[in-house]
Order: sequence, then C-alpha cells, then structure tokens
Amino acid sequence: MVELERIGKVFNKGTVDETDLFVDFSLTVRDGEFVSVVGSNGSGKTTMLNLIAGNVSPDRGRILLNGKDVTAQKEFVRARKIGRVFQDPSKGSSPHMTVAENMALAENKGKPFNLTYALNKKRVEYYREMLRPMGLGIENKMGVKVGSLSGGQRQVLTLLMATMTPIDVLLLDEHTAALDPKTSEQIMQLTGDIVREKRLTTIMVTHNLRYAVEYGDRLLMMDKGKAVIDKSGEEKARLKVEDLLKTFNEISVECGN
Amino acid sequence: MSLFINTTLGGLELGLCYAILAIGLYISYTMLDFADLGVDGIFPLGGVVGTIVMYRLGVHPVLAIFVAAVVGALSGGLTGFLHVKCKISGLLCGIIVMTGMLSVTLALTMLLSDTGFTGVIFNYRALGIEGLFNGEWIDSLSNRNKMLVIIGILFVVVLVVKVLVDLFLKTKAGFMIRATGDNEQMVVSLGKDPGSYKIMGLMIADALTGVAGCLYAQMMNQYDNNCGSGKVVIALVAVIMGVSLFGNIRCMKGTTMVILGAIVYSLALNYFTLIDTNGTFLKLFNAVFFALVLIIGNKRKDFHKIGWKAFKKPKKESVKNG
Repeated sequence: MVELERIGKVFNKGTVDETDLFVDFSLTVRDGEFVSVVGSNGSGKTTMLNLIAGNVSPDRGRILLNGKDVTAQKEFVRARKIGRVFQDPSKGSSPHMTVAENMALAENKGKPFNLTYALNKKRVEYYREMLRPMGLGIENKMGVKVGSLSGGQRQVLTLLMATMTPIDVLLLDEHTAALDPKTSEQIMQLTGDIVREKRLTTIMVTHNLRYAVEYGDRLLMMDKGKAVIDKSGEEKARLKVEDLLKTFNEISVECGN
Repeated sequence: MSLFINTTLGGLELGLCYAILAIGLYISYTMLDFADLGVDGIFPLGGVVGTIVMYRLGVHPVLAIFVAAVVGALSGGLTGFLHVKCKISGLLCGIIVMTGMLSVTLALTMLLSDTGFTGVIFNYRALGIEGLFNGEWIDSLSNRNKMLVIIGILFVVVLVVKVLVDLFLKTKAGFMIRATGDNEQMVVSLGKDPGSYKIMGLMIADALTGVAGCLYAQMMNQYDNNCGSGKVVIALVAVIMGVSLFGNIRCMKGTTMVILGAIVYSLALNYFTLIDTNGTFLKLFNAVFFALVLIIGNKRKDFHKIGWKAFKKPKKESVKNG
C-alpha cells in the first residue's frame, strides 16, 4: 500500500519561478492496485513518482509505504522495496556489464553485496529461461554487454530486473515512451502480464491515453497537482479514450496551450 | 647489443612495477570514471611507510608491502571521502590529497634519518635495509641474472595482484563497483549508496598505488621523496594504451590489457633514454606519447575500418536514433 498524506511541494522557492506544485495532495493506492496516471506536462505526475521513490522530498506531508513512514528515508534505502522503470532505457541497467551480470545484480537486491561470487553457470541458465518467453531474442545474448542491446530489449530487461525481487510498489515512469509503437505495445502487454501474475501494486505514468484506459484498474488524470479524474472499478472499465481526451483538452485550454 | 638487452630488461622491471599502479588506475579511472591525481602523492607515501617499517621495526619486506597497501587504502579513502561526503569534484580531491601528501611524506622522512631532519634520498644499503631485491644471495649473481631474478619476483607479485583483482571483480561487491561507474542510478535502485562503492573502489585502487610505491623503493634500493612526480601520467598512459591496443582481443581481461600497456610504455620510455642520454626531454616524450595514445585511442575504431585515412578528415558524429 502506498499513501501520500497531505503533500505540499514548492519548486524554486523564493524566486520568480516559484511554483506551488502540490498543495495538500493526498492519494492512497491499495495493495495490488494498478493505477495509470495521465496528465499534461508539469501536472505533477513524475514529481509524484519522485516523491514516492525519494529523489524529491516534500515540504509538507507524509509518505507511507505499507503503513511505514518513509518520508525521511534516503532514496537508496527506500529503493529496497521499490521497483522503478524510467523512460530512458539506459537508466535501469549497467551498459558495460553483460545481460547475465546485470540480472545477477538485480536478483541480489536487498541482500548484502559481499565477496561471494556474483554469477555461476546455473544462474545464467535460470536467467536465460526467464528471458526466453519475452520473445525478443535476449536469451541468446547472455554474455553481450547491455549497452549494445536495442532500446526495447533494454527496457524489457529493466522491467524484469525491477520485478525480480519482492517489492512493495512498482513505479513506471513513461516506460514505453522512448520506444517504437510495436515494441511499445509489446512491452505494455508484458507489463500487464507481470503485474497481474505477481499482483504488484503499480503506479504507471503514461502519455498514451489508450494504455491508460486499457491497462490498470484505476485511472488518475492529474492537473496542477490535483487529481481531476479518479476512476476505478466499474467506472474505469466504462471509460473511453474520447472521454479522457475531452477533459484533457478542457484542461489544456484553461492553461492557454 | 648488451646495452640494448639491459635497456629492455630495465624497461621490463619498471613496466612490471608500473603494472600494479596501472591495475589500480584501471579500477579508479576505467571503472569508476575517476581520474585520481592523488596517485602522485600516495605512491611515495607507500614507499616511505614501507621503508620506515623495515628500518625502524625490522619488518619483513613482504609485510612492508602490506603495510604500504593499508596506508594507501586509507589515503584513497580520504580522496573518496572528500569527493563523496564533501562533494568536491574528483579531479580536485586528487589534487588536494596529492598536495598534502608531499608534506606528509617529507615529514615522515624524519623517521629515516638519525639526525631527525628531513631528507630526499635514503639509500637502503646506507640504512642497512634488505628489501625483496637485495641481500647476499642476489648480490652474488651477475648483473644480467640479477635483473632476471628481479623481473621474476616482480612477475609473481603482479600475477598475484592481477588474479586477486580479477577474482574481486567477479564478486557481488566487485559487480557493484563496476555498476557504480557505469550507472549510479542503478546502484540506487538496488538499494545501495553509490558513494560508499566509490570510496571502496578508490581504497582498493590506492592500496595498489601504495604497493607499487613500496615495491618501487625496494627495486631501486632507495627511497626517493620525489619518486611520485609524474606517476599518475605514466599509469594513465599505461591504462589507456593497454585498453586501446588490446581492447579488440576477446577473452583478454582488462587487467591483462593494462599490464601489457604498462610494459610496452616503460619499454618505450627506456628505449628513449638510449637516444636522450641525459634525460632532458624525457618529460616531453612522456607528454607527446600520452597525447599520441589519446589521439590514436580516439581514432582506433575508424583506423581499423579505413586505415590511415582516419587521420585525414574528421568524421562527423553519427546521429543517435532515439
């Protein structure tokens, strides 16, 4: 469960660019809930993920992960219970290390990184079998440096790596935005499968309204640090892209763009 | 001819000693992307501390190497601390530590002189110290055989260091150090502080710097307080040259590449002294050689494809596809 309690966040405080992004913003994501978040640029979607992950800290309010207050925890401490996939495929893996080496690191998350061997043949085979159903041919590239994989392959790898160990919440930050339409579709399906199979609590930020409608069991539309649409269950199931687009346009007109 | 052979053997000796330095820089420079200029100060520190424990405490030369490693590691830790905790840029941290160490090593030489004054050069024979490379058994050999024995011992030391570093880089901690230089965000995602892995990597790298300094003093049979000057350049050239000369060979480990780089480089340096007998232009040779290695390193990929044309016209940066 993820709870944001009465969050306040001001950017560029004390300058002419001062922006009150969040004023008294609250959100509760239940266990196993898959929330898609849409909204225009600057609406606070990504900041919301950053607040949960801990690379942005709130001015006011509390953040709770599974009931535990993590507001003061450093990003890397919090990360032990959080899986995160970024828009940029290069952010989630180490380019000069091989596929197998990257996966070995991901699998060890939460355990000590000590002086025992990180990798053996048996593990490599295990990772290979994990990658095979992805159908992107990564299973034949276990010894290849991740930097030479395609963006799509890297993103699949990152997604698998982020969900390899037990986590409290999965944060997806426009994770298909940098990919071509076909790969993007593929990775979105894969995301749906993994989230369902592992019953992960998930918050996905996306600019693709169709993905937001098709995937997840709750939909948030953010504007100026507020949720202007928050639908779940039956209501969400009935939501169409056109409805979203309409609200989206109304918001944009208000902002003057 | 015999001059040539002696020069070659001398180059091998130095090359093997610098190889340890190069393995250290391979960790800090290649893996952590940290140009650690502190090497120039930590190299003589390893030398002076090793000499002191041998002279004052009568410690065995091998044990002295371990002491030098510990002192080096602590200094590397200091560089890392300044960088990670005080948020000073890496290059400046190295310069700060290097500058400070110049006085520290000088002050420490007071422990080597019986008058309590500082000094610059302390001969092992005059101090009555027996390093790894002197003593009755080795003095009885001919000059040529003596060099061969020294090369043999150095080779074993380098091999031990290389194997240990290779093994370390295969462990979970070693993986994390590699990932830290590559992608800090990933280390954060794995729930670890990248800063602590930077400090750890610098400690290991500078432990090796200390070892190299201590070995160098024992090999030269004297401690020279100026022995650190220019060592970081030597090690950087060795690393960059090794990686760009042998980088294409599959299955060759990075550590092997930089060892070979160090050997090739010191051979080149030694052959140069055959021409420039009083050493006036040695540093200039160093600088020009470094520049050439960097230029060729940059052009290497094109060179393999189109040969010397690679040096004629600058190739446009290819546009990356999103």
